[in-house]
Amino acid sequence: MRFLRQPTTETLGLGPVHEFFKRGQLPTDAGDLVNRIFGQPGKRGAVVISGANGIVGAGKTMQLGSRLLEFNVPIAALDFPSAPDGIGAQYQGLKASFGQKRADEIMANVIRLNYDGQHLPSELNGLRPRFLLEAIPEILDVKKAHYEVFRKAFPEIEIRSVTSGFPAAELGVGIAHPAFPHQINKVWEIVETEVSPITQLFWALGLIPIPVSDNWSFVLDVLFCGLTLAGVRYHEASNMPFWKIDKFVRRLMGPNPFRAHDAIGAKGANFLTWSCLHHLSKNYSAPVFRPAPTLDHRKDTGQNWYPLNHFRPVVDWSMSDSGDDEFENWLIGPVAQMTSLMVHEERSHLAHMNAIGELCAQFRKGVIAFLRDLGPETTIKRVESYHRLHPEAAGSCWYPDAFGSMDSPEWQQLYVNAEHDGKVGVITIGRESYNSDVDAEMNRAIDWLRAEKVERVIVTGDFHLSTQLVGADTSEFYPALTEADRGYAISSSWSRTARRLNDEFKVSVGFINGKRCLGGMLELLMHCHYLIAIDEAALGMPEVTLPVVPGMEGCHWPFRKSRSEDWPRLLELLLTGRPVGAREAVGWLVDFAGPMQESLQTAWKVVADEKKGPLPQRKMSDKALKGIPADIGLPDSGNPAIRATRKAIMDCIQSSCGVSLAEALEVQAKHSAGFMGSEFCRGGVIGSECTKVMNV
Amino acid sequence: MEKISPMFAGARIPYGTWGSSYFPAWQMSALAEVNIGQFAGEAMNRIMGLRKVPIDVLEYLIIGSTIPWHWKFWTAPLVAACMDHRIAGYHMEQACATGLQAVVLAAAEVDSGSNDVVGVLTFDRTSDSPVGVFPERRAHRRTEVLADVWDNFGFDPATGKAMIACAGLAARKHKCDRREVDELAFYRYEQYFKAKDSGFLDRVLVPLDVLNVQGRHLGRIDSDAGVRKLTLEGLRAMPELDSCVTGGTQTHASDGMATLLVTSKEKARQLSPRPEIDIQFIAKAEVRTDPSLMPEAPALAVQKLLGRTGLTMADMVVVKDHNPFAVNDAIFSKVFNYDWRKMNETGCPLVWGHPQGPTLTRVLIEALEEAVSLGGGYVLIFGCAAGDVGIAAILKVSEGGKQK
Repeated sequence: MRFLRQPTTETLGLGPVHEFFKRGQLPTDAGDLVNRIFGQPGKRGAVVISGANGIVGAGKTMQLGSRLLEFNVPIAALDFPSAPDGIGAQYQGLKASFGQKRADEIMANVIRLNYDGQHLPSELNGLRPRFLLEAIPEILDVKKAHYEVFRKAFPEIEIRSVTSGFPAAELGVGIAHPAFPHQINKVWEIVETEVSPITQLFWALGLIPIPVSDNWSFVLDVLFCGLTLAGVRYHEASNMPFWKIDKFVRRLMGPNPFRAHDAIGAKGANFLTWSCLHHLSKNYSAPVFRPAPTLDHRKDTGQNWYPLNHFRPVVDWSMSDSGDDEFENWLIGPVAQMTSLMVHEERSHLAHMNAIGELCAQFRKGVIAFLRDLGPETTIKRVESYHRLHPEAAGSCWYPDAFGSMDSPEWQQLYVNAEHDGKVGVITIGRESYNSDVDAEMNRAIDWLRAEKVERVIVTGDFHLSTQLVGADTSEFYPALTEADRGYAISSSWSRTARRLNDEFKVSVGFINGKRCLGGMLELLMHCHYLIAIDEAALGMPEVTLPVVPGMEGCHWPFRKSRSEDWPRLLELLLTGRPVGAREAVGWLVDFAGPMQESLQTAWKVVADEKKGPLPQRKMSDKALKGIPADIGLPDSGNPAIRATRKAIMDCIQSSCGVSLAEALEVQAKHSAGFMGSEFCRGGVIGSECTKVMNV
Repeated sequence: MEKISPMFAGARIPYGTWGSSYFPAWQMSALAEVNIGQFAGEAMNRIMGLRKVPIDVLEYLIIGSTIPWHWKFWTAPLVAACMDHRIAGYHMEQACATGLQAVVLAAAEVDSGSNDVVGVLTFDRTSDSPVGVFPERRAHRRTEVLADVWDNFGFDPATGKAMIACAGLAARKHKCDRREVDELAFYRYEQYFKAKDSGFLDRVLVPLDVLNVQGRHLGRIDSDAGVRKLTLEGLRAMPELDSCVTGGTQTHASDGMATLLVTSKEKARQLSPRPEIDIQFIAKAEVRTDPSLMPEAPALAVQKLLGRTGLTMADMVVVKDHNPFAVNDAIFSKVFNYDWRKMNETGCPLVWGHPQGPTLTRVLIEALEEAVSLGGGYVLIFGCAAGDVGIAAILKVSEGGKQK
């Protein structure tokens, strides 16, 4: 097997994705793992979550409770009798996500127990606890004593701490550090000496465990707390209020660090941020991490960062060009310096380090991709400029050499990887939305496979960091709202990338392994010769709701591959934005839908079989199509924007289907770019987001 | 310059750590829509940021305003909270003397050693001023209602007279000539527009963007809105409301804020962008003149001040006053036989308006900036205040401070 870079699934002991297809099954199964960890049905042990009424504990009680219910694993939620009810408060959210019946069932499986901190309740014995998820306050001695109590009572129990700061070496237990919001965020930073069944079970349950090294504060907190500290330092240097710093940080990188603290709960979040930075500064003797006086104060007082509602800000702050540069030095400088430390220490796979920022800290681009865009020279210059503003930070934890290998595949393939066995290649996409980085990485992956003489390929989600494929990253469209050329460039170049999947391989198979595949990602995969999806996947073209006109050939490509009697279904998909289930789409959008195992096996047979594969290939017409219905009788939405977008999409369909395949790419790109400059697009979701994020 | 022992010898105003909003006329800007205490706090923070003064250096805050504002009970600590800075402080008011008296009080705070860096922040919103409802058992109506700005302008309870009547009475007492007062007022407008065109005002006034409750742009405060160029003919044609008082020879209500720092000598050197400039407090005086003669009170205060310090008008490099009526300056000129053309070189409240609390703070800031550009010297600031009061102060800007 050869890899463009190490597959992230290998870090979980699961092997490369290529193997999933070749073996025709996933490397592990949730049911088997539950049996191994909690015992056979009828003798199932329990998960215990201690500190279960806290923000983390309650969120994880819901997340694990909803996923383990079908395996009849009871959840024992343990806390002090005086702890305010954090679990009951989760019910409404649970009901909204799963419906009342399922919410009741999940809640019924949660057994709430009180204890005094020293003696475990006798009811626990009957529950046979096999796994303790500790979510109690961040006090080292208290945590250690807590583990002792459990180990004494249940010597075999597996323990993981949700700590955000203490290393496993200090705690004496492994770490599963989850990310906010805890009910729904699937990411867990995992610290353990070797991959455990618990970690693999998390993966098998659809969560995203990410192995990181054992340090004082893990990747997420270094990034998030570090960014917060950078914002605080800028505040101290400029007086700019935190709410406004948030807006500039969001424009620059994506996160709102101060709003996030208030949303999580300033009292606890301020303490955790301070504690993380305090430990880092102490253990590395590094002023770059030292909490600033303002942060000390907020930690002590638990004060919010944003003004109270009745004091919504009155005076706006703007930034001159020179101010912008200084701001970027204050913000990018320390974040880049902290990243240099993490890269130097090899704290995680770079794709992981990058994804953590995007999935857990609102980074528009992960920190590695962000710095990659800057390039090594500019990144180092930014840090040096920061050091002129904060000279004592220069003395430690600065590793400029860490940016010296930005040309390597580890830096260059953060989102897209390729694997092959000499005959069949697999391209994996580890980002839920398509952007220019994914596009560039996709091209490099294709180039690599072609150079390796691989002619058969499966293109799929990465079975790890992307649990679904939701379409284009709409923040990429901001410039196109005012410059038609930019819209055209995006649409045409991304479409050309997609066409390579059709044109440059003997056999290509798009594989939809997550619960959704929408918009641009669906357009990308439909360019493959075959499209295979798991049963549960929903497929859709929601562009009309944004509104935009699809730009990656979705307005003609599927028509060219389907029978005329199926065209009304495609029109409905494009004009309503309503998704369809994979099974319903067989024959006119996908070629096969089935359970995971069967889908994996089918994909492999199709791609690997030198002779006639198990699926007939739908023929592709490269001529102008005739007879595309001009109307499918949709009721008028009553919304002028939707009415105008439907007309624009219909115009695009008619025009791009009405020319040859060779001409269609340009026709569609022009339609898509033209609509992005319209009042409807500017006034829609993308335009509003752009105004909110960029015009600060 | 002769040696005079200054009052508050340990206190300084650090050059360049000041600023004021523009003073738009009442009801003419977004300032009519805001809680002025909150606005002032946020604006001071912004101004100090622009002046490269970290707000954290501030140890104490003295705020001055004359018109009640929402939550004024919480005084300076609340306003400081609007800067994201938790410090103590207090509120003071003395009608239109507020803007100077607050600075003097800050100097006393520093000189006493209580605090090293004291912020002075004065502000008022005349637009939509609050209406107070006062139970008055002895009044025939049992309950009295008072619109804070206009009812007070119209009635001094100690004398029973309106402000405008004071101007007329004082003009008659000093035999002011309407033609000269019109000419004076016209000259004041010319001075203002000349200073504005020269860019001088940009050195002290800071444009500020105001947000609405949704966080969207509500308006930009970047002019003394409402100030219009007047002609001498136009002024002469205006009907007289009282002796020598017309719409053109009296000021107008406006909204705004102004701020500066008072610090120890050492701190001033640390905080100022031009540490070589030293600004000291020399002396201050106040008088209360006879009933309803408020416009002559400032001249009497200056007389007292010069008498005490031994300085003369010839020693002053900058003379600037709060002059709600043009007759104030005409009377001052008569009392001192001083050419009114030599005063108010960069504009004055007669032209740019009367937001009460911050008026004399802006006068002071402009005067100090002007003195620096002239190479330093004594600066005389004075003005009138409700109750027939006059206030005056002399500051000294070190020589050699000419604008680079």
